Amino acid sequence: MKTRISLYPYVWRLPLLIWQGLFFVGPLVLMVAMSFWLVKNYRMEPDFILKNWDKMLSRGYFWDAYWITLWRASLAAVLASLIAFPASYTLAFRVSETTRRWAIFFLIVPFFTSYLVRAYAWQVLLAESGPINAILGFVGLGPLTMLNTGIGAMVGYMTLVLPLVVILQTFSLAAIDRNLIEAAWNLGARPRATLFRVIIPSARVGLIIGAVFAFILSYGDFVSPFYLGGSKPPTMSILIIDTTKSGQQWPRAAVVAIMMIVTLFTVAFAAVGAAYGRRK
Amino acid sequence: MRLSDVLSRIYVLALFLFVFLPILTSVVFSFNSDRFPTVPLGHFTTHWYETAFSRPEVWTAFGNSLIVAVCAAALSTVLGFVTAYTDYRYGFRFKSAYLALALLPPTIPLVIMGLAMLAWLGRLGLSGTLPGIVIAHTVMGAPFAMAICRMRLQQMDPSLEAAAWNLGASPWRAMSAVVIPFTVPALISAFCLTAAVSFDEFIVAWFVSGLNKTVPVMILEILQGNVDPQINAIGTVVFLTSMTLVILAQLLILRRSAA
Amino acid sequence: MTKQETLVTFQGVRKQYDDFVAVKTLDLEIGRGEFVAIMGPSGCGKTTTLRMLAGLESPTEGTITIGGKVMNDVPAHERDTPLVWQSLALFPFLNVQENVEFGLKMRGVPDFERQPRALMWLERMGLKGFEKRRIDQLSGGQRQRVALARSLVTEPEMLLLDEPLSALDAHLVIRMQGVLTKLQKELGITFVYVTHSQSEAFAMADRVVIMGQGEVAQIGAPRDIFRAPRNRFVAEFVGRNNIFTGLGREGRDIVVAADRISVTRDKPEGPAIKAEFLSEEFVGTAILCYFETPEGEELKAQVTEEQLEALGAEPGMAFWLGWAPEAAHEMEG
Repeated sequence: MKTRISLYPYVWRLPLLIWQGLFFVGPLVLMVAMSFWLVKNYRMEPDFILKNWDKMLSRGYFWDAYWITLWRASLAAVLASLIAFPASYTLAFRVSETTRRWAIFFLIVPFFTSYLVRAYAWQVLLAESGPINAILGFVGLGPLTMLNTGIGAMVGYMTLVLPLVVILQTFSLAAIDRNLIEAAWNLGARPRATLFRVIIPSARVGLIIGAVFAFILSYGDFVSPFYLGGSKPPTMSILIIDTTKSGQQWPRAAVVAIMMIVTLFTVAFAAVGAAYGRRK
Repeated sequence: MRLSDVLSRIYVLALFLFVFLPILTSVVFSFNSDRFPTVPLGHFTTHWYETAFSRPEVWTAFGNSLIVAVCAAALSTVLGFVTAYTDYRYGFRFKSAYLALALLPPTIPLVIMGLAMLAWLGRLGLSGTLPGIVIAHTVMGAPFAMAICRMRLQQMDPSLEAAAWNLGASPWRAMSAVVIPFTVPALISAFCLTAAVSFDEFIVAWFVSGLNKTVPVMILEILQGNVDPQINAIGTVVFLTSMTLVILAQLLILRRSAA
Repeated sequence: MTKQETLVTFQGVRKQYDDFVAVKTLDLEIGRGEFVAIMGPSGCGKTTTLRMLAGLESPTEGTITIGGKVMNDVPAHERDTPLVWQSLALFPFLNVQENVEFGLKMRGVPDFERQPRALMWLERMGLKGFEKRRIDQLSGGQRQRVALARSLVTEPEMLLLDEPLSALDAHLVIRMQGVLTKLQKELGITFVYVTHSQSEAFAMADRVVIMGQGEVAQIGAPRDIFRAPRNRFVAEFVGRNNIFTGLGREGRDIVVAADRISVTRDKPEGPAIKAEFLSEEFVGTAILCYFETPEGEELKAQVTEEQLEALGAEPGMAFWLGWAPEAAHEMEG
């Protein structure tokens, strides 16, 4: 109604703007500003100096953390996608609608349950004297050192991301037009050709989105690298926590955080761009 | 059934086993008598529950978690609903920026949210208080609530609200008599899910909580010190709480969309 | 028909969204107690017209009056213009009776008064015993009647209907047409009925408004529109007729209804055209035959079963299609 200005639409529109402005944009902007502040006698003073950036970016341990985090998150994204795919394929094409719905239902549950307790359970399971090594010993293998290694961290990442990746992949596979697949068979495509020429390209956006989420979650995670990966070398998240919790070096932690956000968004946008871009 | 069908089902079951193994382990060891978790198991005991819940700080932490979860869930649900309704009802300039602002928080790593919140809430004098944790958890929960409400509104016939105006309801009245009643199942499940998110969240809470610890923050601190099977007992209770919330939420979503 | 008192007027009404013009210019009067159908292809502006009448859209230019009062800026909820929606828009979380009571409740009618009125309308619509049912437990026809009861319970002067029968099965459509016509006569209120189906419009309406591309193409009684379409757009939209380009005076186009065409083997007296038989289609009591002229134009003739048998028509056979000069209507453009 152009003639009377109604309050109504704004009552619904404004709360989010106010809230996110105050408690989402505000904190992030402050964090960016903070990265240029001065720390004197364990107190921060607003300033505009590049010292924090210089101190962090010139350190070898920062770049070690940077690359190990990027590498592990990328590996986790690829691994999770590969491990999830056969399961997603089965759920999308080989089970009934009802089974699929229940499977998704059960995959959502762990996403909202304590990740911390699950990581602790893995600590117990993967321990030198734990059940998994006991089983391995029973068949004459091991014991393997899994805890506090890259393997331990990767197990943790998979616990975190697999449910979500399976859900996203299943949805995108189930959404493929069945006629398309039948047409491929009808035209004489073998199962392998159908999979690589028809199914995977059709579900590409969903598959990439799944991998991107796996990347985002693993990249920012601190529990798996800390409690299962032994935090050596530290990841970016561990670096932020160490820098924040010890010695009030918040501005330096902010530098690490900004580097993380920039990297994360670059990778995510590039991947999403690749997902949609080539599909002309 | 062909062999490949059998194998693929076994694969799916193995994947589910992997996902649920830590949850099951935690429950099993919470009733196991041995102090150090080894195989074979010791005997059945409720000792760890008794020890854990005889500590007053555990009860305080549960109380804190409950207060924070209820408040954060209520705020998230309200914020999520008004945003979902705006998206459903209106088109306006910069709407995609508006939606990005609404949905972006989950993409920011929790550690970074924790740091940013710590600094910001400190400036507002809310650092180390329960309201501070509530604020942080609302920021994280609102996008989930918004997504759930938006999906429900998607199922609403766009004429429904107009039909209410047409029958003499003012926009406000149509909201309370039609839009909200229609969205109620989503509001309840959004409340449950965001409560579960808050009940399990420990990183941001750890950054901003100070002395007012929530349960997951307490678990985190126990994990950093002497590991003790009490964690399994507390963890099992936490699992049960959040799983109940999540399953309740999902049943509401499933039942309503089937109808 | 006697001259009625005017209830609704549209004066130079225009509706524009950004760069899309939904209604170009609309001048229309609707009488009290009249059954008017607004008909046209999708996107012609008929639904926008109805929504402006209900106050769900406000006109960009021009004036709309109801009962002499300018309504342009009166919001929807302050009008008494109930609408029967294409989707019906019944409230799924309310039962049948609560749906019907909704309008009364919004207008502050007390509970003890609401209930008997709702029950009376439900009984009138043949829904006695269904009061406590949920909407998803009803059949399509029953829902339709709940929607009608919900709109009529406030006893309005005018009822708006937006393609209300489009979701129903064919046999139910005919039955609901009867229900609606009877209801309108009994209540004596104005019905404004929007549809894309000419059979619905012609079966029920006193007057039909044909719209095309945001403008009124023709207004008239169904019979007049069928026999004397004003222009090619109306003729084509109404269908079941033949348009002959340039056969009228000063090279104007003429139109001859399919049931006024005679089919013969030999050239008849008077105007006629030779065409090849293509196919036949049963349309209830008669048969519609399709022909093609050597120029590739399609022609239609409505014949009886006996006539078709006597002709012994086979696809490919040539016939003469003739008409009496008085059966031809000359169009404006």
